[in-house]
Amino acid sequence: MRLILFDRPSPKRFHFDPLALSRPIWDLRIGMSSLGDKMIAKTGASDVACFVPDYMAEVHRETAECPVNDASKLAGDDLLLVHGRVRASGFDVETTGPSQCGLDADGEVLWARIAQADLAKLNADSIDALLASVKEALPKAEGETAAWNYTWELVLENPDQLTEDIRAAGRSGIEGSVEEPRAIRGSDKDIYVARGAVVHPLVVMDAEHGPIYIDEDAEIHPFTRIEGPCYIGKKSILLGAKCREGNSIGPMCRIGGEVEESIIHGYSNKYHDGFLGHAYVGEWVNLGALTTNSDLKNDYSNVGVSLDGGKAIDTGSTKVGALIGDHTKTSIGTLFNTGAYVGAMCLISGTGKPLPKFIPSFAWFLEGVVTKGFGKRKLYETAAIVASRRGRQWTAAQQTMWDDIFQITAGPRGEALKKGRRVLAGR
Amino acid sequence: MPSVQDRVVAVTARVLQLDESEIKLEQNFSADLGAESVQSIELVANFEEEFGIEMEEDAALSVDTVASAVEFITKVCEEQGVAV
Repeated sequence: MRLILFDRPSPKRFHFDPLALSRPIWDLRIGMSSLGDKMIAKTGASDVACFVPDYMAEVHRETAECPVNDASKLAGDDLLLVHGRVRASGFDVETTGPSQCGLDADGEVLWARIAQADLAKLNADSIDALLASVKEALPKAEGETAAWNYTWELVLENPDQLTEDIRAAGRSGIEGSVEEPRAIRGSDKDIYVARGAVVHPLVVMDAEHGPIYIDEDAEIHPFTRIEGPCYIGKKSILLGAKCREGNSIGPMCRIGGEVEESIIHGYSNKYHDGFLGHAYVGEWVNLGALTTNSDLKNDYSNVGVSLDGGKAIDTGSTKVGALIGDHTKTSIGTLFNTGAYVGAMCLISGTGKPLPKFIPSFAWFLEGVVTKGFGKRKLYETAAIVASRRGRQWTAAQQTMWDDIFQITAGPRGEALKKGRRVLAGR
Repeated sequence: MPSVQDRVVAVTARVLQLDESEIKLEQNFSADLGAESVQSIELVANFEEEFGIEMEEDAALSVDTVASAVEFITKVCEEQGVAV
């Protein structure tokens, strides 16, 4: 059986923006790993291939451990196709058996099991053709397939998933070093400090309400308090952080200030004081000192999030912070409103007031409005510098992908730019 | 209708908080008129709003003098079919 993870352009794909602008949905994280890692583990697949939106295929090939957008992988074996939105925890489809598929309420294919013998009856010229013929020809499974619908669902379920993942990892004890004086609350067996990780003196690890997993070569500086459940990724550094429950951080992050129930992808920095709560932060983000997001409205009503600058979607939760896309940088003192959508590749200059709830990708937010700023070329130059500081490279393929994202996100940005020009002209 | 030059000078004066009479065609926005980087961006946005045009950031920000701004904006207006 070959597992085929797929995430092709669809009406619901933007529900995962700005994070999914630059990655397939299954590369979003929850708990200790990505959605894709969880699905591979759940199905036990050793043969995996994937299909992503065409514009990100070349970049995904740079890091993926499986073939990307290779149509030859749609033949030669039994196939289990699974959409990146499917929840691994609720996915109980047998990997072998008669061909059938599962659709969501809107008719989108969420999974399909295809016996090799049936492939000849389907159109497998491309993943899109195969999905179309699967939907038309295969029997539909009864029952609902659990799927993720919005990014904030990952944030809201992160604490429980962390507990489950850390327990499943089955690691416990100190393989790295924890320097004296140490302060551990709860049970020692709920704390794991991996090989090479260093916990400095005067760090509080509070595992009373959940386990703590500090991964390899992470470094925890004095006066940090880590509250479980919590996962600190490889080579991340916590700098006197108030790391409250429910955080998934790293790898290679630098985190200070107060962080609560947030997911932060690799290579992002929040070095200084400031509060980040119920937030989802992409890669290569830098949050300037005192950058803070609200995650609770003063009237305790549900938080709404606008994903395109238009009508807000009711999250159904009173606690949702900011969604921040890859490569976005904020100035000192930036204040994000509750449930803020902050696009990718933005440069944000704080105003002293909470910023608009929707900031489009590639925005230079200056003087309280969205401007063109110094353009995307300057943003790319900065991205290249930042990558080189961490021993990584800004590649031609990445630039091409971001050029495509610039086009994809042009509509909402154009509207915001027009508004910004009117405001500036009226001053 | 005021000329492109008059409108460029008026926008520049407003954004940089100068008197129109202080602004000469040969003057450099940053070195002579004191435009800081954020003000350069504001100038571009205000020129776009004034003339109803879209300017490519790199090209617009490479314009350094008032005269070259007049020339550049006239060209963009022609390209985008905006009567001036």
